[in-house]
Amino acid sequence: MLDQIIRDYREAVFDTDGEGAVAVAENALNNGIAAEDIVFKVVIPVIEEMMAVINRDPDANLAQHFMTAQIAATVTEKMLVHFRQPPASQGKVVIGTSAGDLHSLGKRIVMGCLKSLMIEVVDLGVNVTPERFVDAAVEHDAQVIAISSMMIHTARGENGSLAVRRLLQERGLESRVKLVVGGAPYRFDPELYRTVGADAWAEDGITAGRVIQDLIRAVTRP
Amino acid sequence: MTPLQRLIAAVKGEPADRIPIFCNLLDQGAQELGMSLEHYYSNGEHVAEGQLRMRERYGHDNVWSLFYVGKEAELFGCRKILFASDGPPNVAQFVIQDYDDIEKLEVPVDVAAHPAFLETAKCLAILRREVGGKVPICAYLTGSMTFPALLMGMDRWMELLLTGPADLRELLLAKCSEFFRREIAAYRAAGADVLLYSNPFGCTYFVGRKRFREQSLPWMERDLAEGGVDGVVYYCGMSPFANIVGEVIDRLKIGAYYFGPDDDIAEAKAIVADRGLTCGVINDIKMLSWSEQQVRDEVRRIIGAGKGSGRFLFGTGVMPYAIPEANIRAMLDEAYRLGRWE
Ligand code: B12
Repeated sequence: MLDQIIRDYREAVFDTDGEGAVAVAENALNNGIAAEDIVFKVVIPVIEEMMAVINRDPDANLAQHFMTAQIAATVTEKMLVHFRQPPASQGKVVIGTSAGDLHSLGKRIVMGCLKSLMIEVVDLGVNVTPERFVDAAVEHDAQVIAISSMMIHTARGENGSLAVRRLLQERGLESRVKLVVGGAPYRFDPELYRTVGADAWAEDGITAGRVIQDLIRAVTRP
Repeated sequence: MTPLQRLIAAVKGEPADRIPIFCNLLDQGAQELGMSLEHYYSNGEHVAEGQLRMRERYGHDNVWSLFYVGKEAELFGCRKILFASDGPPNVAQFVIQDYDDIEKLEVPVDVAAHPAFLETAKCLAILRREVGGKVPICAYLTGSMTFPALLMGMDRWMELLLTGPADLRELLLAKCSEFFRREIAAYRAAGADVLLYSNPFGCTYFVGRKRFREQSLPWMERDLAEGGVDGVVYYCGMSPFANIVGEVIDRLKIGAYYFGPDDDIAEAKAIVADRGLTCGVINDIKMLSWSEQQVRDEVRRIIGAGKGSGRFLFGTGVMPYAIPEANIRAMLDEAYRLGRWE
């Protein structure tokens, strides 16, 4: 039965059919499948599969990333309320756009992917100062700070990732908190993340999920 | 030869001294005039002066009437722009806050007479007086499929486009397209020669082929139907689009294509062939960190792939403020040299 559910769910996700995907999950639930199984055996494997496919697919596009993230996050959220115990956290991320940057789409897609991977996300919104990123990471005990920047000056400038790196250094937090960046400028220059002092970057939202998962593991299981 | 003659020759595939070279320096004008960006962009005289001085300094083949893209949102009533000291201004207030606002949205009837267009008109008048008929004057216009991003943010536009109510989506697109037609007419009347049709949703980085065919193409057709494609340049915000350019040419008959730096220019040129002008574009974000030699090598690669026997232009994106002057000079020097026809 689970195999059929996986097949149906996969088909809905690959067709970016949000309503279809939710229906598959809810049907499964009504047929007695545990919400935990739906998330860990259906939703997460399918999004992981999607990561692999999208990376190889020359026709992959932003609409797909948006819908995949959106669907997976919605289904996960709907299933979570049916969990018998609160789920074990897979890690925690604080995310926002850099100071002076009001572009929120990248952040939203990345957040969707993280949620579907059961990673907790604290959304700091747009135009976030370096101090707020670091303070929030400490306050929430997050393993990762994620910064989205859509312009060159907000990616490379003095109030973005570079300043966050400096604060992490000054406060002796570097082994506890990793820094990941993303957004258009990083796609145009894949080496840029080093220039701005980040630990990693990802070129799309689905890959971001995997990269952030790896960073969380680097902190929690060094 | 004047830069305009050079451009026209390239478009028509006729002989010239060299290929046209576009270098898009916007924010740099403020530096040149020793002003803050906010002060610079408050007055069309500044922008015109900045453009003219940039061209005097570097000798490239175009000037711009574009201040910053957010100006188009100001024509719809956006009142808040976020200025930075080291980068382009951004829309900081979305005119569409919820779906109800789409119905209320009013398309400016007379773009040319709109208060938010006055400084642009002033700039255009000065450019026309100083270099009109000699240097191509460029204008920037956002296509209807992309324009909603300026009115409601990319985030909410993507949501409406992919999951929202179809009637509201179509209504918004119709309003944006109507605006586009009025705007392009206003720019033409004000003397712009090159009309950069900016529409990132016109490539498959943003939407799949199906949506591209079912939505992007028809809306582009509507945008351009009335005014025609004279002077229009197809541009997807630096995203690659060689994979669909054939369909665009067949359907829209636009005469010039401003590719992304990741496009394979030889392939793009082979598809466009003698049906239009192929523009090979350098990755100006990498120009921030490249050495002068790397810049030169890249210019050589692009011109080598695209120049062929003509119908080719070399250009930049919106050059980031922080690109070292030496790299701008190295790029142009190499392009002038390699772009020459014997
Ligand atoms: C669409 C677009 C526009 C549209 C819509 C803008 C808007 N409001 O969002 C229009 C045409 C209106 C426009 C205007 C401008 N634009 Co524009 N635009 C683009 C374009 C084509 C896509 C940007 C976008 O929204 N992408 C959506 C995001 C979600 O996609 P993405 O970056 O692929 O996101 C993925 C990854 O980056 C990753 N990711 C994102 N965030 C994060 C975070 C983390 C932590 C991780 C791990 C991963 C990750 O996952 C995402 C999902 O897959 C880019 C070029 C390009 N091809 O990318 C230029 C670009 C961003 N624009 C640029 C510029 C300069 C501008 C203007 C400032 C121009 C001007 N002088 O006025 C204006 C600003 C308008 C405004 N906001 O006021 C430059 C910025 C570079 C620079 N020079 O600073 C770019 C890069 C083009 C270029 N190469 O020159 N633009």
